[in-house]
Amino acid sequence: MGELSGTTAVVDEARDEIVLDLAAMSTREANAALRSLPDGARARLDNPAGRHNLAVGLTRAVHVRIAGPAGYYVGGLGAAAEVDVDGPAGWGVGENLMSGTVRVRGAASQSAAASAHGGLVVVEGDASLRAGISLKGGQLAVAGDVGRSCAFLAQAGTILVGGDAGEALGDSLYEAVIYVAGRIRGLGTDARVEDLTEADVAAAGALAAAAGFDHVDPQNVTRVASVRSLYHFDTAHHGAY
Amino acid sequence: MCGIAGLHLKDHTYRERLGAMVAGMLRGVARRGPDSAGVAIHDDVPDVPDVPDVPGVPGVPGVPGVPGQAVPGVPAAPGAGLTVFREVGDPEEFAARIGLAGRAGVRALAHTRMATESAVTAAHCHPFVAGEERLCLVHNGSFANHATIRRRLAGLGIITETDNDSEVAAHWLAARRAAGDDLTTALRRLTTTFDGFFTLAVTTADSFAVVRDPIACKPAIIAETDHWVAVVSEYQALLGLPGLADAVVFEPEPEEVYLWAS
Repeated sequence: MGELSGTTAVVDEARDEIVLDLAAMSTREANAALRSLPDGARARLDNPAGRHNLAVGLTRAVHVRIAGPAGYYVGGLGAAAEVDVDGPAGWGVGENLMSGTVRVRGAASQSAAASAHGGLVVVEGDASLRAGISLKGGQLAVAGDVGRSCAFLAQAGTILVGGDAGEALGDSLYEAVIYVAGRIRGLGTDARVEDLTEADVAAAGALAAAAGFDHVDPQNVTRVASVRSLYHFDTAHHGAY
Repeated sequence: MCGIAGLHLKDHTYRERLGAMVAGMLRGVARRGPDSAGVAIHDDVPDVPDVPDVPGVPGVPGVPGVPGQAVPGVPAAPGAGLTVFREVGDPEEFAARIGLAGRAGVRALAHTRMATESAVTAAHCHPFVAGEERLCLVHNGSFANHATIRRRLAGLGIITETDNDSEVAAHWLAARRAAGDDLTTALRRLTTTFDGFFTLAVTTADSFAVVRDPIACKPAIIAETDHWVAVVSEYQALLGLPGLADAVVFEPEPEEVYLWAS
């Protein structure tokens, strides 16, 4: 037993992990304890029971394992940390991630990796609607399918879909790029399928490797990017502005 | 916000435990709707429900001028038992007061309310019950055109009890059912008639249905096993259900009507 930022924590010596039991502490206590850990530390959150806002705002290179289902915004706002969820996750997993990794060993609900500026969000199951919405430079890799409106308004970054994509893929896309290994049910406004270049194969392959997806063949993905007709001023349409 | 939970038993395995299961689900969505709560429990045998004396509770802090009110149980409809409790106040205390965990049944809806568009009174609580068949509805979201539809219903002689937006949807669905629509058709029509955000769960004497708005603004998770199907706003509300580890868990698609009938 030891004191960790005012919270009683147990050390699992076999795993070299600090164990925090969420059944006995508030989310704020747990997050404050995680933020007090030094670079390289390992921690485990037991009994998460789908609780929201776990492991958010971490700014050091710590490894946090969440031993069960997580709720909304797990791992959000993080920089440098590595967060693993041993179960499904709720809305906004890795929202506004700056760097580091958030990995969900299950399905993710809506808006996975929303507004992520950097880092990598991996969903080993399916992701629901609006995955990668407003992505701003981060990377999102989904092993399974993604729901409707994936990459809506995504500005920068890369999305890899190992399964199928739903309706309105890439709607109102800016400069983010999407690679889909399976079928695409429908493209959104201002999104189109483009030829796959060597650089795309390398990018999709690197993302698949980082995510640990051996079921994705980067030579056989579909590239979806912006037509760029929505966000460029066009003098031919000046009367409409 | 608002939290919804619905449970439909596909066989009699958990009939005696229905209330306990719903109580756990209600606890899981309690934080989404701390100002009031309600449940509707369907039984498959006609009965006179055992309605305890539900006391009124003090007004909710921060909502001045709203006295506590309780609607202690609606009598059972002929041919099918239906018991409804709705009350202002903390959802978990409400569940304890009505003895929810000890109640049996075959199908139930539960709601926790965070009011955004009408008063905090027991009459404004979900589930709303409408029509001859006593259709029950819980709603997470808001409707923009409920006043227009309320006026249309009034023209048909259908008068809502309150100015609540969700109540209009319950009466409108009941009116469509009375006009001959099956529940799936009525819910499909609802998605194009009502403007707004919604996850709806609806029950009748023999059916359980779920539908979401075209962009699925409000959360919904369905879990299904051989014995039961449940819909909840948040995953944590599923955690106490027996056999969850082997359940099929998915998020319902926008505008798709999901229906189970006994």
